[in-house]
This record gives sequence, structure tokens and C-alpha cells, in this order.
Amino acid sequence: MKMYTATIPGSALTVRSRESYYARQKRLFVVVVILVAIIPLLFISWTASHFYQKSWLNKTTVELTSLANSRREIIDLFLDSQENMLAGYAELYDLAWLRTPGNLEKLFQAMNRQGVIVDLGLIAQDGSHCNYVGPFAEDLKDKNYAETRWFAEVMQSGRYISDVFTGYRGVPHFIVAVTDPTRSWVLRATINSGLFNALLASAEVGPGGDAFILNHQGELQTPSRVGLTALPAGEKGLLATGGDLTIHHSQSALYATTGMKNNAWTLVLKTDIKTSLADFYRARQRDHLIIACAALLILGVATFLVRSMMNKVEDADQQRMVLYDRIRNSEKMALVGRMAANVAHEINNPLQIIGDQAGWLNELLDEEDPASLKNSEEYRAAFAKIKAQVKRASTITHRLLGFSRSTDGLKAPANINTLVEETVSFLEKEAANHRIAIRRNLDPDLPAITTDSAQLQQVFLNILNNAFDAIGNDGAVTISTSRGNGQLAVEFADNGPGLSEEGLKKVFEPFFTTKKAGSGTGIGLAISYSIVERLGGGIEVRNGRQGGCVFRVHFPLPA
Amino acid sequence: MDDIKILLVDDEEDFIRTLSERLDLRDLGSKTALNGEQALGYVGEKEPDVMVLDLKMPGIDGMEVLRRVRQIYPNIQVIIQTGHGNDLDEAEARRLGVFDYLKKPVDIEILVERIKTAHQAKKNLLDSSATAAAFAEAGEYDTAKTMLKQ
Repeated sequence: MKMYTATIPGSALTVRSRESYYARQKRLFVVVVILVAIIPLLFISWTASHFYQKSWLNKTTVELTSLANSRREIIDLFLDSQENMLAGYAELYDLAWLRTPGNLEKLFQAMNRQGVIVDLGLIAQDGSHCNYVGPFAEDLKDKNYAETRWFAEVMQSGRYISDVFTGYRGVPHFIVAVTDPTRSWVLRATINSGLFNALLASAEVGPGGDAFILNHQGELQTPSRVGLTALPAGEKGLLATGGDLTIHHSQSALYATTGMKNNAWTLVLKTDIKTSLADFYRARQRDHLIIACAALLILGVATFLVRSMMNKVEDADQQRMVLYDRIRNSEKMALVGRMAANVAHEINNPLQIIGDQAGWLNELLDEEDPASLKNSEEYRAAFAKIKAQVKRASTITHRLLGFSRSTDGLKAPANINTLVEETVSFLEKEAANHRIAIRRNLDPDLPAITTDSAQLQQVFLNILNNAFDAIGNDGAVTISTSRGNGQLAVEFADNGPGLSEEGLKKVFEPFFTTKKAGSGTGIGLAISYSIVERLGGGIEVRNGRQGGCVFRVHFPLPA
Repeated sequence: MDDIKILLVDDEEDFIRTLSERLDLRDLGSKTALNGEQALGYVGEKEPDVMVLDLKMPGIDGMEVLRRVRQIYPNIQVIIQTGHGNDLDEAEARRLGVFDYLKKPVDIEILVERIKTAHQAKKNLLDSSATAAAFAEAGEYDTAKTMLKQ
């Protein structure tokens, strides 16, 4: 007995908590399987993505730094060379030579081998043009620069490079101005800033990136690649003008800034993280989709496997419970049966003596003088009653002996259908009296089985009697025989009231009866049970779908 | 009617005494034995015609008494009257050749009827034995055999 309870958890012993126990186990297994399978997947995906982004950032930072440095150097070099060249000429020639018509043109042509100088002007100390070479001679002929800021500055410090401006001419340019060593005149060149644009345009900052130069006021000195006309408010704070090379990292972009032209200007290179990583994000999205699919698959497979596994476990447990119940039941029946038989044996002797003593007293009465016996008739009636009750008690004890009856050596091949027909023939009269129809639904090809026909008939008789009692008057009993699943089965279905839950459990227990006291001993079905067990078969009861009880007796089919 | 010599064997003294008295009332004289030893002793002294035997007794039990009686005195008709027998006991008793096997409680009238029938059977058996012997002496062995078989 213990081996059954040991393997079934205590909480599984009642039906309701058993269900929740299996459901709990199912959930637990599913969760564990999913965690074990999916967590590494998520971890790998996260680390891969994280490390890829980090290495991309590192690489891009290095590239941006070297790009910024090289561009700054080139532009600074260019500005220096323009300034130095102009200063050189200012030292080399004097005002008189430069004023001489034709000389300034020669100088312009010599300087402008690169083609970046737009015009060249010679301005006297009072701010008026002395000489001019360039496309805007008419416009600038009477222009006086005395009041302009750059003129004041160049007269003061000797050299000046302006911010980029569009000026009269509608093209971005800047001016470089130098004075002669005595600061009595100014040589001024307008230089096309298109060169910067080309330099910055060739900087590789990736899709969505930008490269431009800012002046002190944060104004764009070169056009933005993405069409900015002014710096957005968010970037203004981020990009302190001037200073050494700095890398800024915002949510969406990576910036490299460096001061140039003596920190008057700031070179800004910007790489757009989102656009640059677009391919990576697409790949990552695809990865996420794959992981989600894999997770779903794992979830499905895990749930399916766990469910089918747990169902099998549950089935096995239930089968074991049924087996356990059957063994326990069968042991109980055997014990009660043996006890009943022993009690019957012990009671038979005293019954015999009671009957004999009473019979003897009755006979002794015959020898008495009838005149002296006042109650002779009462005595005789009492003796008759004792005799009747002894007979009644002995029928019960003899039935109880059925529990200890052995079937060894009494088995012979028998046809179940024939046995059924014979049994029915005993009961036909009683059935007719109670208007109970007996219907047969017999499988004609039933094979013979080796059994004890007399005892099996008693079983059938007990079941049918029971059915009759359940029906009372007016009803039907259907007897069916069939084969299947290695079994030969006889079913007796009545259309009586059926049994309660309690009744279904206890109907085979000795002394269980639904009949009113005194009309049944409650041992017929118990004996039937022990007989069928001894004959190697089984007997079960259930309530029929259309009401009433169905008793099913079955034996293994002969091999 | 001939006197039938009856031996009642049962360890229940109340029962056997009453039974003996009641048989007396029906003109059937009987002797009683309370156990197997007494029974076998009586049988050795004076062979009864019919023996009413209980199976469950202390010492030599009814089945053993039956076995010995059938071996030594095959003409004694034995009626088993028991409250303990199961069908294996019954089968064994019948195999040993009891005249009948009755389950307690047994009505006195039935017992009396069985005793008388048993006695008659014994007489018939002896008669047929005698006749068979006569046939055998006359050389008609087949007829004698058939008679004994019956």
C-alpha cells in the first residue's frame, strides 16, 4: 500500500487539489524551460548589439578626430598663406609703384595662380580706394572704408582676416587685409570661400552628417550640407566655439569641434548616429524579430511538450489511483468475506441446537396430558415461530458461506450467452409479474470461456434480482454481451432510479443495501463481486446515460 | 421395521443428546460419540448401519474418521452433518463416498428420512452383493460386475 502513496504527493490525493497540483507543475515546467531557453538568446542578442555600437562609436570618434585635425590644418595653412603672401607684397612694393596703373593688375595675376582671389584693392590711409583690380571697379570706385570696423582694425594691428560674408556681390567670400610697415596704406584682397566649402564637402562624415565652420557669434561660415542656415538651439549650447579638439556625444549625433584661425572660427564635424547606424538598426530589428519568433516557437514547443508530458504523468497517476482503489477494495472485500463466512460457520452450530431443542420440546409436549396444559396451542405456535426464524437465519448464514466458496477444479468452457439465457429463464415469471421487460442484445459470435457456470449464473441472478428490486414495477432490463479491448463483457442496464455517488462507491460492500430494512441482506452483490474476482474477471457499476444502473461484468478473452 | 443401528458423532454434547432423544421418539435407537476416537472405538466394537458425522471436531476430525471408516467398513453409510463445511470439504467427502452431505441446521424430519434411506441403501447393497456373489459363483461374472457397479 505504501508504495502507492509514497509516489503520489499528499496534495494530489483529493481530486480538486490534484488538478491544481498538475496545473501548477505544468506552469512551473513551462516557465523554467522558457527561461532556460530564452534568457541566453536575449543575452547574446543584447551583448552583440551593445558591443557593435560601442566599437562603431570608437572607430567613428577616431576617424572624426583625424578628419577634423587635417581639415583644420589645411584651412589654417591656406589662410596663413594668403595673409603671408599679401604681407610679402606689401613689404616688397611701395605705394607709388602700386598706384601706377597696370602694376596692381600684374600683382593680381601673379597672386591669383590658384584662382581664389576675387579682387585686389589698394586703399589709402583716409579709407579711399587708390587702385582696384577686379570685377566690381565701377561699384567700388567711390567707396570709402574709413568708418568700417575692419579698416580700423587693420590700421591698428597691421593684419586682418574677416569672417565670411556675402557682401555686395552675392557670393560668399572673406577679405584679407594688410598694411605696409609704416601703416600708411592698405592692401586688401577678397578671397572666394568656395575653397573651404570644397574642403569640407570632401570630408567623410557619413550619411546625415555635416561639416561647417562657425565664427565667434556662432554664424555659419560655410554652407551646411543638410541645409542649415543657422545653428539649432540645441547644438549652440553644445558647441563652445574655439578651443582644442573636442568630441561631443549627444543622443543622436557625434561632434568633433576644434578652434581655427586663432580660435576666431570653429570647425564642426558632425556624424548622425541614427542615420549611420541605420543598417545596423535594421539588422537589429531583424534579429529582434527572429528572436521573437524563436521565443514563440520555444514557448509553443515547451508548452506542448510539458502539457503532453504532464498529461501522461496525470494519466499514469490516475491509473495507479484506480489500481490502488481496486486492490484496496478487493482486499477489503476478501477480508470482510472471510469474516462473514467464519461468523456464518460459528452461528450454524448454535442455530442447529436452538432448532433441535425447540423441536424436542415440541415433541415432549405430545407426551403431556392435554388437560393439564392450558396454553398448548400457544406453545406449538411459538415452536413453529422458532423453527421459522432458525430457517430464516440459516438461509442467511448459508448465503454468507458463498464468500468462502472456492472455484478450484470446477471450471469448464461455457458460453456466456447460454448462461444469460438460462438465468433469464429462471426469472421470466417474476419479470412478468412485475411487468419488467427483459431485452437481450447478445453478440452471437462470443467465444466460450473457461469458468464456473453455476457461480457465474448466481452472479447474473444477483444482478438481475437487484435490477428488479430497483425498478419495482413497470420497466426494462437490457442485457448486452460484447467483445473488445481483450475483454468479454456482459452489461445489465436497468431503467430504475440509479445510484447516488455514495451508492456507486459502496454497492459491492457487504451489507450495503438501498432496500428497506428486513427485505434485503445486502450481500448478493458483495458475493457476486468476490465470485467474479475469484473467476479472474471484474465487475463495475455506473449510472447509465439514460438513467438507471449499468452493471458490467467482464472477463479476459481467451488467448 | 428392522432396528437401525445408528451412531451420532458430534462434539456438541447438548446437540447430540437432544438429537438422540428425538430419534428415540421416532423409534430410532442411537449411540453417541463426542469425538473421533470414541467414534472409531465404537465402530470397532459394534459396526453401525448408519453414522451421522460432524466434520469439525477436536482430535481426529470428521474427515479423518470418514476416511478410515470407508477403508475398513465400506458398508457403513455415513451422513455428514456440519456447520463448517465449504464446498471443497463437500467435494472431498463425496469423493470418499458419503451417503449424503447436510449443512446445519438440519431439520429432524429430513435427517430421519436420510437415515432411513441410507439404511435401505445399505440393505440393497448387501442384497445386490449377495446376488452378485451368487451370479459370480454360477460363473456369470459380467452380470455380477454390472450389479456391483450399480
